[in-house]
Amino acid sequence: MLDDGVKAELDYHALNAMLNLYDGEGRIRFDADRKAARQYFLQHVNQNTVFFHNLDEKLRYLVDEGYYEPEVLDQYSKNFQRAIWDAAYLRKFRFPTFLGAFKYYTSYTLKTRDGQRYLERYEDRVVMVALALARGDEALAMRFMEEILSGRFQPATPTFLNAGKKSRGELISCFLLRLEDNMESIGRSINSALQLSKRGGGVALMLTNLREAGAPIKGIENQSSGVIPVMKLLEDSFSYANQLGARQGAGAVYLNAHHPDILRFLDTKRENADEKIRIKTLSLGVVIPDVTFELAKKNEDMYLFSPHDVEKVYGLPFSEISVTEKYAEMVDDKRIKKRKINAREFFQTIAEIQFESGYPYIMFEDTVNRANPVHGRISMSNLCSEILQVNEASEFNEDLSYAHLGTDISCNLGSLNIAATMDGPDFGATVEAAIRALTAVSEMSSIEAVPSIRRGNDEAHAVGLGQMNLHGFLARERIHYGSPEGIEFTSVYFAAVAYHAIRASNLLAQEKGHSFRDFDKSKYANGSFFDKYTSRDWLPELADVARVFEGVTLPTRADWEALKADVMAHGLYNRNLQAVPPTGSISYINNSTSSIHPIVAKIEVRKEGKIGRVYYPAAFMSNDNLEYYRDAYEIGPDAIIDTYAAATEHVDQGLSLTLFFPAEATTRDINRAQIHAWKKGIKTIYYIRLRQTALEGTEVQGCVSCTL
Amino acid sequence: MKTPLRAINWNRLEDEKDLEVWNRLTVNFWLPEKVPLSNDVQSWATLRPEERELTIRVFTGLTLLDTVQNTIGAPSMMPDAQTPHEEAVLSNISFMEAVHARSYSSIFSTLCLTKEVDEAFRWSEENPHLQAKARLILEEYKAGSDPLKRKIASVFLESFLFYSGFYLPMYWSSRAKLTNTADLIRLIIRDEAVHGYYIGYKYQRALEKLPEARRQELKDFAFALIFDLYDIEQKYTAELYDGIGLTEDVKAFLHYNANKALQNLGYEALFPPAACEVNPAIMAALSPDSENHDFFSGSGSSYVIGKAVATEDEDWDF
Repeated sequence: MLDDGVKAELDYHALNAMLNLYDGEGRIRFDADRKAARQYFLQHVNQNTVFFHNLDEKLRYLVDEGYYEPEVLDQYSKNFQRAIWDAAYLRKFRFPTFLGAFKYYTSYTLKTRDGQRYLERYEDRVVMVALALARGDEALAMRFMEEILSGRFQPATPTFLNAGKKSRGELISCFLLRLEDNMESIGRSINSALQLSKRGGGVALMLTNLREAGAPIKGIENQSSGVIPVMKLLEDSFSYANQLGARQGAGAVYLNAHHPDILRFLDTKRENADEKIRIKTLSLGVVIPDVTFELAKKNEDMYLFSPHDVEKVYGLPFSEISVTEKYAEMVDDKRIKKRKINAREFFQTIAEIQFESGYPYIMFEDTVNRANPVHGRISMSNLCSEILQVNEASEFNEDLSYAHLGTDISCNLGSLNIAATMDGPDFGATVEAAIRALTAVSEMSSIEAVPSIRRGNDEAHAVGLGQMNLHGFLARERIHYGSPEGIEFTSVYFAAVAYHAIRASNLLAQEKGHSFRDFDKSKYANGSFFDKYTSRDWLPELADVARVFEGVTLPTRADWEALKADVMAHGLYNRNLQAVPPTGSISYINNSTSSIHPIVAKIEVRKEGKIGRVYYPAAFMSNDNLEYYRDAYEIGPDAIIDTYAAATEHVDQGLSLTLFFPAEATTRDINRAQIHAWKKGIKTIYYIRLRQTALEGTEVQGCVSCTL
Repeated sequence: MKTPLRAINWNRLEDEKDLEVWNRLTVNFWLPEKVPLSNDVQSWATLRPEERELTIRVFTGLTLLDTVQNTIGAPSMMPDAQTPHEEAVLSNISFMEAVHARSYSSIFSTLCLTKEVDEAFRWSEENPHLQAKARLILEEYKAGSDPLKRKIASVFLESFLFYSGFYLPMYWSSRAKLTNTADLIRLIIRDEAVHGYYIGYKYQRALEKLPEARRQELKDFAFALIFDLYDIEQKYTAELYDGIGLTEDVKAFLHYNANKALQNLGYEALFPPAACEVNPAIMAALSPDSENHDFFSGSGSSYVIGKAVATEDEDWDF
């Protein structure tokens, strides 16, 4: 095996790392990574996998030893169990990359209790997920297995990791909680953060309603400490409640731009912030209304309003008020205490902090609420800035029991692999299966520890179907990311997904005989949601785009008209349907490029607490098609924003949109990209990422990820 | 007549490189508090006792070298500076070396017990090889010694001597251990790479003005010094790494970096490529940029302090 200079005795880590080092002729060594994947099985996985003579013996053992939930298997006959496992193994699944295999075996597969030996292969995990989510429906279980094993549909990590296991965390990824301006709400939220974090979810909390530092308490001035100490409490809560030691809890906090503590909030991420106020691991998000942009345009000051006073004047928490709508009124109301900062300087401060830390995320409040098809107000997003749902405040008694049980937000996610879905036999059926699988997760989840989450989930059955592998697919089809063809493809694809997702949810409403709560107050119920689909076509016009859609049936205006009638007559089961997450881990096991953003590097250097540094080649890339794999820094923010804008139009929730800049960029470049994004109707911005090229003469020799 | 005192004018540059490196160094400013080292506490507990001892020792060794460079090395080069801007860059280098030395203590206080750390510091004071290499460098830093030889010693320290220590955290991180500590070390490596490069660059500029005989003398000196240092470094490496069986691989890494140090001075490689075949996992782990991470992990080593530029009316065109 010495034919290509790859030494046979190298271990799989070293083989994998060779991906990041060019060979003598300046080519990327994809073969080394394939060898790494093979060596990983030969040197490690095979010898550490527990052997069983046959399926019956294996299942009996796993149930008897308390590894598998017997309830999941008992819903099916022995014959069917054998049939679905046989069908799965017949597909001869192989991991194409080292990271895919490594990630699966380190983070997902079932292991013996001492963590030393593997009890499942990839096919076993897929079948167990399919059996658990199908809840006894054999045909549906077979469908789920097909969709997942073919790579078309990939459930999010918590579902894929946990389903069917006896001792497990929750199936849901993501939680959003709102805080109100009283100690009971703060205390209860910290408890909820601990409980949810322990169960394996990321938690976002909205702090907009908390009174600012220096606000009065019980009428005495200068008493409140504002939002920073609450952030500190939350940060410590998340590091305490880790998931069985597997990974730290993770949290985000959102604050409105017009909250008086906003600059302090941002300063917690400064490089030289004092230890007492420095926030290291909590993610930050800022909610920005349109009026802030208008004020910056005119280069005026922006007023910040005391949430305490706003609530007294309007009888509503600050987050329930549209700042844009009430801005002039609040400025003139002398009962509301306010201070001012320069609006342009505010945007510049955001960009400075993004340089230093990548934070804050941004949610464009008015854009989000204009696009919201359901009743209620959206005032926050989540840890990945793709969940955008309405919530309702809870009220508490002194003993922390609920005087009024409001609703908080949970969302379970899963993503389609765009390339695999486009290659698949039936586009609509894939979307429908995905929506059914996600709905099952929602119905199987009941978070008793946080009743407001439970109520929200029971009433909404909100799900978030995402997408990944856009860049990989476009490159395979020799279309450049961000080109007119790339953008048109995105628009047509997402319109088709929206159609089939709504159709699936409408079918579910018919089968179950009811819709989500407040469906009658939604834009679906009065039909206005469908105007933009019945007034024009969303079909390919460019030749290259028409070519890639050959063989895929796309919805016509007549199809949309029919769907509109069905929805108005029978409703929708899920209040929310789509959300495009950043897809880290699952895109590696699924052999995709992440989400719908461009690759960050031809060879991605991935670091995760649990697996260290690993190298990952972009999907479908070879030494012959490198020109289609320009990375996000080369592509630049505008093309990314335009691509996301095309998708955003058809997504009822949000999309995790990361922007990429070279380190030589200035805060002005970041601000311009933010303005461009806001103008194009983008709903949220996730991380800002920077790349510094090594000073000439100091670079690591022959490194793929650093010199391109 | 007294010579007038001169204020530094960054708008009159004698060497553009000074500004380029100054900008790079200031943009790269960081403090250890930025890295969530405490995320490594659990990982630290998975190391065997002898691995922990090794790790602490390696870091005390690095602390010693950073201390030397902070308090003696960089300041001793300041009087030799050819331009006021070079002096300013050196003062930045000196300060960041103090930050590095401080960082190891942050690692210690986060991960280790005081007793273990105290023992390791005692070890560093008593270890003959560590003391010998520090002394050899200090000899050249002494007042009155040749300014160019000082630069040679300094480049060897920055670009060569650190790496026997840097190997270990890179090795752990390629094995999914102490990954946040590795982030911090990568920040240090990012700095040291620039320091070694810059001092080497200044050395080469100075060399250009010298007669052939003197140039030959300096080159002979440089190679003699690196032979001496390598000899000590070999023993130091064996003493540290024999226990976990990594000595050969660390040596390949030393060869690679010795060549890199010589290259910074403008000299040819000492070790043939075959002797420099470092484990690819370590090589790849060195690159600081383009690392992708999720929010469950640390902050990565790619963020910098940005250049603030106000927006103009034309930007707000909507």
